[in-house]
Amino acid sequence: MLPAGLSFDQAPPIAVPFRFFLTAPLFLLAAAILLVAYGPEMLLSRHMPATLAATHLLTLGFTSMVMCGAMMQMLPVVAGAPVPAPRLVAWTVHLSLATGAAGVAASFLWGRPVLMHLGGGLAALGFGVFLAAAAWSLAHVRSRSPSVPAMGFSIASLAVTAALGLTLGIARQGGLDIPYVQFSLLHPMWGLYGWTALLVMGVAYQVVPMFQLTPNYPKAITTWLAGGLFLLLILRSAAEFTLLPPAVPGVALAAGAGVFAIATLRLQGRRKRKISDATLLFWRVGMGLLLAACLLWLAAALLPAEAAERARLLLGIAALPGFILAVINGMLYKIVPFLAWFHLQSRYVGKTAIPNMKQLQPDRPARGQMALYLAALALLAGAVFWPPLARLSGLLWLASALWLERNLLRALILYRRTVALATAKKSD
Amino acid sequence: MGERLLDVRELEPPEPLERVLELLDTLAAGDSLRMLHRRQPNLLYPILEREGFAHRTTATAEGDFEILIWRKQV
Ligand code: HEM
Repeated sequence: MLPAGLSFDQAPPIAVPFRFFLTAPLFLLAAAILLVAYGPEMLLSRHMPATLAATHLLTLGFTSMVMCGAMMQMLPVVAGAPVPAPRLVAWTVHLSLATGAAGVAASFLWGRPVLMHLGGGLAALGFGVFLAAAAWSLAHVRSRSPSVPAMGFSIASLAVTAALGLTLGIARQGGLDIPYVQFSLLHPMWGLYGWTALLVMGVAYQVVPMFQLTPNYPKAITTWLAGGLFLLLILRSAAEFTLLPPAVPGVALAAGAGVFAIATLRLQGRRKRKISDATLLFWRVGMGLLLAACLLWLAAALLPAEAAERARLLLGIAALPGFILAVINGMLYKIVPFLAWFHLQSRYVGKTAIPNMKQLQPDRPARGQMALYLAALALLAGAVFWPPLARLSGLLWLASALWLERNLLRALILYRRTVALATAKKSD
Repeated sequence: MGERLLDVRELEPPEPLERVLELLDTLAAGDSLRMLHRRQPNLLYPILEREGFAHRTTATAEGDFEILIWRKQV
């Protein structure tokens, strides 16, 4: 059987996902402002205070924010498993993630331990509530969609990421004795690879064939890849504390991500309809960047120390502002207008004219924003070799974040206007 | 009694749903609509029920779905 489609009866109210999607770009904006303010020093190392702050504005404020919001939307409709108490869960998760992201970032920036405890605690609370709701939902799944297991591995990785992040945050202030170096290597791996990339895979299995009109992913990939990679993440972690050579699971992890990227690019190459849009282009760019990240991962393992550090910095750029941001940015351009359209369609059809997808999310401004994003990313990578580019890159990130917010707001404004029209007519 | 054909296999969501809802508005009693789709249109079914249409879905040999829709007699 094909995976079940979406079913509206189980979709939560529109305010639930929208508040996540519309606040997320503001954190992108905040990260951009840091890059403008601190400039070249942020590229000296991944451990510069402003770099760690920007990293968490992106991971907690932007990517985790969108992913939690999207997952609460997708679990009910894709997996047929409603999230319990959707309003309360959304409210709590959203507020704790937003304040947590700000707190953790501020603590890195200004070195205030109390902010780290507060921000880390809030983020952990948000993740905790999200994990409980998502786990409950996944346990009640009715569909055999190939997305479901990958989503399960992803949220399990989130638990590991948050636990490592929280202990790192506390230990950083000297209150805890942990193997800091090992933890600080494993925490970003579980966060970027486990929580984020595995979720992208799970979502892709469903969304790429459906929205991009490609054939389905090969069964071997949807059945084995996510679970295999999760196992490799465990082995790679164990290698830090045992005699297991880290290179073996390390190389396998890079190869696994490469397999996914290539499979996706090949499917997209076999599309039935040749028209492209911003979402598709963002995803193709994202997959290209994922491939680049795999190669840099290998390079970082093979190169001599100094060159390896530069490769690791580039790996971070290809992975987070590259692959992950591109895919999520592209996804937002589909999910936001789709939800708006869908809610209008199901509540107000026949009462007033319902705008279509292209009106809710025109392609031209989305492509314009993508061009800015690509320029910002290219300059950021360039700044690794020639640091004076950093501030200019920051300015472009800033413009790109504002434009993204503007584009998403357009859908919301049109949604509101249509609802107003429909309800005004009803009372005539 | 006429039968109309709507092939949405090459359309991106939610266009299939948009198209079929447009057509349903003009479907007279006694007419039917045969829809070809790559997936089960799970979003469509509840709308059909609500708007007073009957439907029957069969899987085709190529792995697509064929959905026959007609207005319920009142
Ligand atoms: C509970 C929330 C979190 C807290 C308190 C936290 C805390 C930390 C700390 C203290 C570090 C510094 C480690 C070092 O000294 O090298 C760090 C690094 C990092 N974290 Fe988090 N983190 C959290 C959540 C996340 C999430 C959800 C992600 C990814 C999705 C993430 C991605 C990263 C990355 C990429 C680094 C950079 C490491 C490097 O470049 O070496 N963090 N985090």
